[in-house]
Amino acid sequence: MPRSIPDQSKFAPGLTLQLDADQLHAFFPLLQKGVAVPATVGCTLKCLLCDQFSIPADYVTDRITTIFMDNRPVDDLEHTIIQDGSRVTLSAAMPGLVGATMRRGGFYAALRQGISHVSGGAAAADQHGTVRIKLFNLLLAELGPLVLARGLILEPAELADLLKSIPDRPLDSSPGTSRVLLTVRFNE
Amino acid sequence: MDKIARIDMGAAGGPKVTVGDLGEYAGLGGRAMTSLVVAAEVHPLAHPLGAENKLVISPGMLSGTTGSMTGRLSVGCKSPLTGTIKESNAGGQAAQVLARLGYAAVILEGKPEGDDLYKIVINKDGIQVIVDNSLKLMDNYPLVAKLRQEYGDKAAYMSIGSAGERKLLAASIACTDPELRPTRHCGRGGVGAVMGAKRVKAIILDDAGMKMRPPKDPDAYRDANRKFVEGLRKHPVTGEGLPAYGTNVLTNVLNEAGGYPTNNFKSGQFADSAKLSGETQAALEISRGGSATHGCHRGCVIQCSGIYNDKDGNYVTKQPEYETVWSHGGHCGISNLDTVAKLDYIDDNIGVDTIEMGVTIGVAMDAGLAEFGDDAAAIRLMEEVAKGTPLGRVLGSGAAITGKVFGVERVPVVKDQALPAYDPRAIQGIGVTYATTTQGADHTAGYAIATNILKVGGDVDPLKTEGQIELSRNLQIATAAIDSTGMCLFIAFAIMDQPETFQALLDMLGSFHGITMTGDDVVALGKKVLSAERDFNARAGFTKHHDRLPRFFYNEPIAPHNQTFLMKDEELDEVFNW
Ligand code: SF4
Repeated sequence: MPRSIPDQSKFAPGLTLQLDADQLHAFFPLLQKGVAVPATVGCTLKCLLCDQFSIPADYVTDRITTIFMDNRPVDDLEHTIIQDGSRVTLSAAMPGLVGATMRRGGFYAALRQGISHVSGGAAAADQHGTVRIKLFNLLLAELGPLVLARGLILEPAELADLLKSIPDRPLDSSPGTSRVLLTVRFNE
Repeated sequence: MDKIARIDMGAAGGPKVTVGDLGEYAGLGGRAMTSLVVAAEVHPLAHPLGAENKLVISPGMLSGTTGSMTGRLSVGCKSPLTGTIKESNAGGQAAQVLARLGYAAVILEGKPEGDDLYKIVINKDGIQVIVDNSLKLMDNYPLVAKLRQEYGDKAAYMSIGSAGERKLLAASIACTDPELRPTRHCGRGGVGAVMGAKRVKAIILDDAGMKMRPPKDPDAYRDANRKFVEGLRKHPVTGEGLPAYGTNVLTNVLNEAGGYPTNNFKSGQFADSAKLSGETQAALEISRGGSATHGCHRGCVIQCSGIYNDKDGNYVTKQPEYETVWSHGGHCGISNLDTVAKLDYIDDNIGVDTIEMGVTIGVAMDAGLAEFGDDAAAIRLMEEVAKGTPLGRVLGSGAAITGKVFGVERVPVVKDQALPAYDPRAIQGIGVTYATTTQGADHTAGYAIATNILKVGGDVDPLKTEGQIELSRNLQIATAAIDSTGMCLFIAFAIMDQPETFQALLDMLGSFHGITMTGDDVVALGKKVLSAERDFNARAGFTKHHDRLPRFFYNEPIAPHNQTFLMKDEELDEVFNW
């Protein structure tokens, strides 16, 4: 059963943008640097991706081949527990030996011994929290709309920078002085 | 490819060309050819810039054919930078043209008396060695432009810039790309200084009137090549990631892993890495009318390169690779892609290795010659190299020399060659390869990641510690073999993940040469090459004590993982124990 999106009003006032699909790339710098998103924490990484973000399981397996949590490459999604404030980075397959080394459950995982994420612990009772999500390379375009539609928590300065990079933005979207929950939807 | 040309630059009465058959080198190409010739024919204690050294230029075993990805050129010699044997390879058009002209190797020998500068013209009619002192101290871009006026746009050009003529230890040999830009460099190890010492400024390769090399079994070769290309196109790395972003797609990932050496290896993360990423670079290139997808030679289907324009849409340089963006970028605390592109252009123009130069600038910053993050100072230091000032000559001699001259303790070199863009404290297994390769610190020495398919040395349990030694050994063997085929190493992902693509590669080799090629044959070739290289290095005075990383990697933990390099010396000594 997909989990419901956490109570967003808890985090910040809401702002919604409806943009043309070709404006998605304006969000790529932000998505690469990482954005805070509301999430239910205490669950597994697999639950975060498949249940909360509704990413199909075969996409997670085949396409998101490189995952980091708190700078550590992750091999086991089912035993990696998301905490409030966890930093989760998602990438498609990478070239070169280093790319192969970072790959989830890859043949060359031994080469990164010492920095790999050590799975363990059990899922705790669900709690509302935030997770910092980063998207790299091919996943920027493929998962960006999904992350943006769930809503990002932005500091005023982040929002101001972002709005500057979006041409023809709606007039009522000026940044305020407090953190904001920004939801972005794209026209088909 | 049934002949070898030897050009004795020091012959009495002027350079002398001898063309002979392959003899004991029959069937070899690329790194196998260069390393076996150097190991057999160069005195291991020869001065690298002296008459006893040889510069061996060899296309890969499949270069000059209709096969895809077959255009890598190997150049080998005793390295003036490391003192070891050296193989340095590049893309560009040269390998294809040289192979179609029928040469499995061109070997520059001896050293002329006097100051004359030479160009060598190789075409269907033979080889001419011509004095041309008008080329003295020209850099690669104007040099190629001048040569094109005489030899046209159908030729491929190999050349050295002013750095090679000055015999700087970071000097490279440039090869022109399909647009005749001197952007593809045999960069590592100072091979350009050896060419300069032999007073050869340029090699003009013209295959007009020559045909593609014919396979022994044309139908089988065509079929295998088709399957090979299909495999490359359908794989997400070779079919999507590399064409879209190039190798610089690694910046974000390395930074995330805490393995992105920053400010001369003081941290494993750079706060501004997203400004340098392949994703940012590709978007910028496209928005300025350049391109994020470009092949360094005809017949490349991956096309990991691109064209970098300035804000007004004018060409600056080819798309800088990950290692270049790192060495001139995060390693020096610089986050401006335009600065990196400008430095890449200077490197290509004067003819120096981008890794060695970027690392050297970072060492110079540590010495106090400039502040980390000072873009203008980095450009100024590179201009010293371009002008050949005393400071420029020190910098152009690489990170090890610069570190010694300015008393810097943290100098990231192995066998005096600068480490590439991965911190071995974060990615320990890569440190094993850096420490033990025959070439000095070299990321490509352990790049051919198809060892699981090759089953080099049997199955390895990747989750065991000892797996790192085993994996590094196997990677080095596989890489030595792939480097001999002329295939670009970026095919590695597709052949690792897709057994049918690896089989297609074996079938290409087999059908071309009329033999049956197995994974075991590839392994045997890789071992033969590495054994010859190790033997040369041993005779040149290298021992297991040179197979070590600098001490700071053992003593200084690096953020964010606060880890040092943990591999024991005894473990490193096992890498070549087969
Ligand atoms: S993949 Fe890149 S390096 Fe390899 S041949 Fe193509 S353009 Fe050259």
